[in-house]
Amino acid sequence: MSLPRLLKEAAENLFKKPATLPFPKEDIPPAPGYRGLHRVDASKCISCGLCAIDCPTKAIEMRVYSEYGNKRYPVVHYYRCVFCYQCVISCPKKAYVITETRPPPIGDKERLIGEPIFKKEEK
Amino acid sequence: MSQVRTVEIPIGPQHPALHEPLQLKLKVDGEVVVDVFLVPGFNHRGVEWLAERRSFIHCLYMCSRVCGICNTIHGTTYALAVEDLAKIEVPPRAKWLRVLVNELERIHSHMIILAIIAELIGFDTLFMLLMRDRERVMYLKELVTGNRVLADYIAIGGVKRDINQEKADIIKKHLNYIEERMKYYKKVFAEDPIVRRRLVDVGKIPYSRAIDLCLVGPTARGSGISCDIRKLDPYDAYDEVPFNEIVYKECDSWARVMVRVDETLESINMVRYVLDHLPSGPIGPKVIPRRFPAGEGIGRSEAPRGELLYHIIHDGKGMNPYRLKIRTPSFTNIHNGIKILVGQHIADVPAIFGSYDPCISCSERVTVVDVKTERTYTMRLKDLSKMKR
Repeated sequence: MSLPRLLKEAAENLFKKPATLPFPKEDIPPAPGYRGLHRVDASKCISCGLCAIDCPTKAIEMRVYSEYGNKRYPVVHYYRCVFCYQCVISCPKKAYVITETRPPPIGDKERLIGEPIFKKEEK
Repeated sequence: MSQVRTVEIPIGPQHPALHEPLQLKLKVDGEVVVDVFLVPGFNHRGVEWLAERRSFIHCLYMCSRVCGICNTIHGTTYALAVEDLAKIEVPPRAKWLRVLVNELERIHSHMIILAIIAELIGFDTLFMLLMRDRERVMYLKELVTGNRVLADYIAIGGVKRDINQEKADIIKKHLNYIEERMKYYKKVFAEDPIVRRRLVDVGKIPYSRAIDLCLVGPTARGSGISCDIRKLDPYDAYDEVPFNEIVYKECDSWARVMVRVDETLESINMVRYVLDHLPSGPIGPKVIPRRFPAGEGIGRSEAPRGELLYHIIHDGKGMNPYRLKIRTPSFTNIHNGIKILVGQHIADVPAIFGSYDPCISCSERVTVVDVKTERTYTMRLKDLSKMKR
């Protein structure tokens, strides 16, 4: 009986660094173009609500902002979001600001939201 | 002398040999399996029912979640069905990009089942090495689509994002490494004594039996049946991308494994060809289609596990489809393929079952549970037609 083919490679791997990483200390940065946290740019948003209609998990809420002229702006609830980016594509004004940040491990639903980005001069 | 009796042994729904919730009830006489019963229903989510209550765009994302591993091909086939319904023309570049992502998915899907088969036959070193190298394919998928597993790359009428030359170079660089490794694993699967002793001449499905059992995909191609939908009924850009259909005539578990190894190598060449010959142009329609005409549409494709079919009916009213029927390859492969287990040794059951590449979440369709009497029964088509709205 011949020896298993993998024996040489298995022996070599004993003296190599593990392929897995100690996660919280070391991390692999996501690939370029990773679908991360996204928020709407309020200066471009026209409050049409198409992103909220197209969202498959109903993660986008059209919230009224009384301090910014009583207009509705989309708020992304990340705990429901599946990061499919349908909202980014549906947006007729390309108002979504996309990042490559992974959602943080927070249990609090109220802190895991993406509110619209308002510029200071709009106040 | 005591009378010979059969013993019933349950495998699953939580079992180290089967990685997904499914129960196999084996009747054994000594070490030999006499009869097999399949108990599905642990992962039933009612996807077809949900699809009738969601808009066409929502359905695209839900259909991608029918199966975790082959999610892009589910999205593609749903899009093919909707495009057939609404007669939407897909731009050439989008067609080629769909081929690119679906072939990347085929590579990682075949690598995971090869790893799982290695684990099922007790070869954990091979499992670890295959899973380590598969991680590179996952990175490539993240690079192209934006996510490792759930790509959500397909849109109705095209794809969502484009690739540039920089990304193409990274993909080619990693593919060289994966090809070199897969050629090495091919030698391991073809020559290693441990693999050969557990797989060769085990779970034989002769040509005629495979046709009787309606097997599809690599499981059937291991029995010498030519059934690759990419060749027989080309969709997307498969009529323009050259590739060979892999057919083995050994009919055993080993042949089914080798079909997957060779298909992985073939897919690597296809990805290279797509990257070199990608046509220019738009990648999708300018306006997202939201309303669809009444009618029917069919999408048919070759998933990593076999032929996948979506049938969609729309009555023209509202935003949601009237009916969506999904026929997954694992459904026939699991439900019919278990008949092969009769007459085999009980120690070979996981390896044979693993060589079908079973995907339980794909194959959970109709189970009826009477809550009052706690009785589970299957329904005939006649009874189902009475229940329709």
